[in-house]
Amino acid sequence: MLLVLLIVVAPIAAGALIFALPRNDRTISRGAGTAVAIATFAMLIAARDAQWSVRWLSRPFEAAFHFGTTPVSFWIALLLALCTACAVATTRVARTRDFVALMLMLEGTMLGLFLARDLLVFALFWDLMLVPVFFGLVGWGEHPATAWRYFIYNFAGGLTLLLATAAFGVIYGSTDVIGRADAHLVGAWAPWIYAGFAFAFLVKAPIWPLHTWMPPTYGGLPSPMVSVVSAVQSKAGLYGFIAIGLALLPDYVREYADPLMVLGAISLIYGAVVALVQNDAKRVVAYSSLSHLGLIIIAVASGNRIALAGAVVYIVAHGLFSAALFMVLGYLEEREGTRSLLRLGGLGWKNPRLAGALCIAALAALGLPGLAGFVGELIILVGVYQAGYVWPVIVALVGIVIASAYMIRLYQDLMNGPEVADVPVRGDLTWLEGLAVAPLLAALVIVGIYPVPLLRL
Amino acid sequence: MTLPFTGADWSAILPVSAIAVTALAVLIADLFSGRNDQRYVSIAIALLGTIVGGILAARQFGQHHDAFFGGYVVGGFTTVFQEIIVIATLGSLVLYGALGPAQRIAGMTAIMLWSACGAMLMAAAANLMMIFLGLELLSLGLYALCGAVDRRASRESALKYLILSSTATGFLIFGSALLFGATGSIRLADFVNPVLAMNPLFWLGAGMFLIGLVFKLSLVPFHTWTPDVFQGAPLPVTAFMSVATKAGALAVFARFIYAALPADAVQGLLLPVWIVAGISMIAGNVGMLAQHDLKRLLGYSGVAQIGYILVALAGGTPLGLRYALYYLAAYAFMNLGAFAVAAAISGDGEEGADLENYRGLARRRPWLAAAMTVFLLALAGLPPTAGFLGKILILASSVSAGYLWLAALLIIGTAISLYAYAKVIRLMYETSEGARQALEPFVPLAWASAAICAVLVVAMTFYPLTPSNVLPLVR
Repeated sequence: MLLVLLIVVAPIAAGALIFALPRNDRTISRGAGTAVAIATFAMLIAARDAQWSVRWLSRPFEAAFHFGTTPVSFWIALLLALCTACAVATTRVARTRDFVALMLMLEGTMLGLFLARDLLVFALFWDLMLVPVFFGLVGWGEHPATAWRYFIYNFAGGLTLLLATAAFGVIYGSTDVIGRADAHLVGAWAPWIYAGFAFAFLVKAPIWPLHTWMPPTYGGLPSPMVSVVSAVQSKAGLYGFIAIGLALLPDYVREYADPLMVLGAISLIYGAVVALVQNDAKRVVAYSSLSHLGLIIIAVASGNRIALAGAVVYIVAHGLFSAALFMVLGYLEEREGTRSLLRLGGLGWKNPRLAGALCIAALAALGLPGLAGFVGELIILVGVYQAGYVWPVIVALVGIVIASAYMIRLYQDLMNGPEVADVPVRGDLTWLEGLAVAPLLAALVIVGIYPVPLLRL
Repeated sequence: MTLPFTGADWSAILPVSAIAVTALAVLIADLFSGRNDQRYVSIAIALLGTIVGGILAARQFGQHHDAFFGGYVVGGFTTVFQEIIVIATLGSLVLYGALGPAQRIAGMTAIMLWSACGAMLMAAAANLMMIFLGLELLSLGLYALCGAVDRRASRESALKYLILSSTATGFLIFGSALLFGATGSIRLADFVNPVLAMNPLFWLGAGMFLIGLVFKLSLVPFHTWTPDVFQGAPLPVTAFMSVATKAGALAVFARFIYAALPADAVQGLLLPVWIVAGISMIAGNVGMLAQHDLKRLLGYSGVAQIGYILVALAGGTPLGLRYALYYLAAYAFMNLGAFAVAAAISGDGEEGADLENYRGLARRRPWLAAAMTVFLLALAGLPPTAGFLGKILILASSVSAGYLWLAALLIIGTAISLYAYAKVIRLMYETSEGARQALEPFVPLAWASAAICAVLVVAMTFYPLTPSNVLPLVR
């Protein structure tokens, strides 16, 4: 069905077309960007079971431009379309037109990644999705070195992914394997191929000690882009573990589960502890991401079906609340000109809507029952425990306790306490900003109450 | 006296002859053209003649004929290499549209056409004499072209190239003599004799022959001339050297290793070459890091890119040769495109090779910056460009041939190269105050060339390589 191809191509083409608008246009590009993102959302729902394929290579291995959602990637793609729509709607950066165009290209390339049913196409979009973020960091970032760190780290991951893909194709004879139940690879080469994939995924997630590109990137990117990157792009690695690691090389994920769990656990605790002492609000959320993604890595490494279902819920939940948090912090920074926890305080009195949005997102992040984060965490912990791993559950519980501490600290330092004199407290959320965050918060509540559709893997 | 050649022999070299005659036509037309249109008359005739040569070469595709007693082979292999050389010549000729002193354009285009003839002869050469003839025709033209503008750097470049290249040619001709001594034949096809694998004279000859070729391919440790010569030579000549010379040398190299070595000697003789290719991928990319001049940068980049192409050949499989050709074609478009952008931002008398000229280009000329980004991404092997697909094909062929260490070196080299390419991209998209404000002039020929190359570099990625589409190239 051609609609599937359109889902990938439309945002990229629309992004290119937006460059044809007048240079200092804001409203049209913003509106068009939001409309395109909403359209991809609708198309995704319409084309849930559809596939589209055309032959690409037949030597040295078979490859095809094969697109279509898998049960896991469907939800991540929906999340991506939703986050993009929300983030683009309130973009207020310099050169808005170019930025919106980049956002759409970012969406398109990531949709290509999550819809790819062929490893080679997956690898292609894996590298391609770095480019818009690189340009985002070059054009709008706070420090040029950040762009480098982001690009070099992730491209190094992309290269091992490429080598692993080539080796997989040569040995298996085809890369048209994502979402196919019968494609397993075993043999002398398979552990190395798995290592190549795993390195790329771990850099992307990111997982300690490969995470050092992440805090400056998340801190430096403009908030609309960072909300999409942290919500969805970081999930590419986790999706890779589920759709490629567990599906194509399950023996090796199981065999090397322990080191993966240890890395996940270290990230979980390390991220949480560092988040506790950061004074940059964006970095608090960045390190909290590191911590939360560590939990998902533990779930994936356990290989347990329940844990995996929980991982999918938590992937969506984390996407929703981290996008909401970054967007709200972005609004805050636009108003106050700073995002330092030391300089801000007492904003909640004057800005109830801003405080409310931050509150819901933060509560979801710390795992309050009734919101999506809790469901994911609970199911993951049950699954991991059932798989016979006790110590990761204990580590995760410690991490969740620390999560409450840093999220409450974030909220309190920004919203409660005495008002700080020299920081101007400007207006509350506008109706448009509220409308942009509302879908994310609503989705957090809906998934928190009724996560059943996400659990049907 | 009657020549022992048939009509088929003469028609075999028709594409080369057409281009050689075009060069004469350029010179004659220049005598009659006025001062103002001199430049465009020369370029138009040269382009037309080269296109005719390309069409004539394309018509030979699928034929097979050993012309001139097996010295000049007509076949799919020859055609593809000749087409790449034709494309390189076209892409370099258009750059003269904005660069170089007008009164010398005719001479320069004519010499470039003759050099192209030399490269095309190399692509078809199947005996040692023809290889040498092609190589000398190519090189002699380039010595003149390198020094064709009144700049100190240009003269230095010509002298450096003359001395070093002559030395390499010495190796090649000495190696040829030894090969002839060992085999009693100048035909490459006669070297396959397994008895030769025992003959030390053959080993010595083949080794020296390969050293000569490796110099022309500018692989480590014979690469140090490349950045200097590239920097000094006029931009169109650099573009030509970076693609056509390498295509010609690569054709000889591929024919030599595929069709002219006894099976027992292949491993022992070629292992050093693969090691050299591996080192080149690292050294070329490391060398790029510190460059502030686009021509030097692309010179080092070429060192590494040829290394990648050799990795595809390492398996010695026909499939590997096809991937090498795919990558070579892609490389031709990336490099020519990058040089076209460089020509487009050049002003009168100064060539836009200094990387400072690219600062903030995206603000002034967004389309040029976008095209340049495509070329640099392609050189780095990032999607959505042919460089990405080419690299994965090379990786696949080297993995299946068991050269995993080459694949690993390729990966490491690519990771290093990324920094150098991304540095240029970042410069173009930077929004700093120091950037120059004046708008670069609109140069139609260079812009068109850059646009065509950019489209092709992207389109080649999505071209499905099914068996009927992958050219049945090698015999």
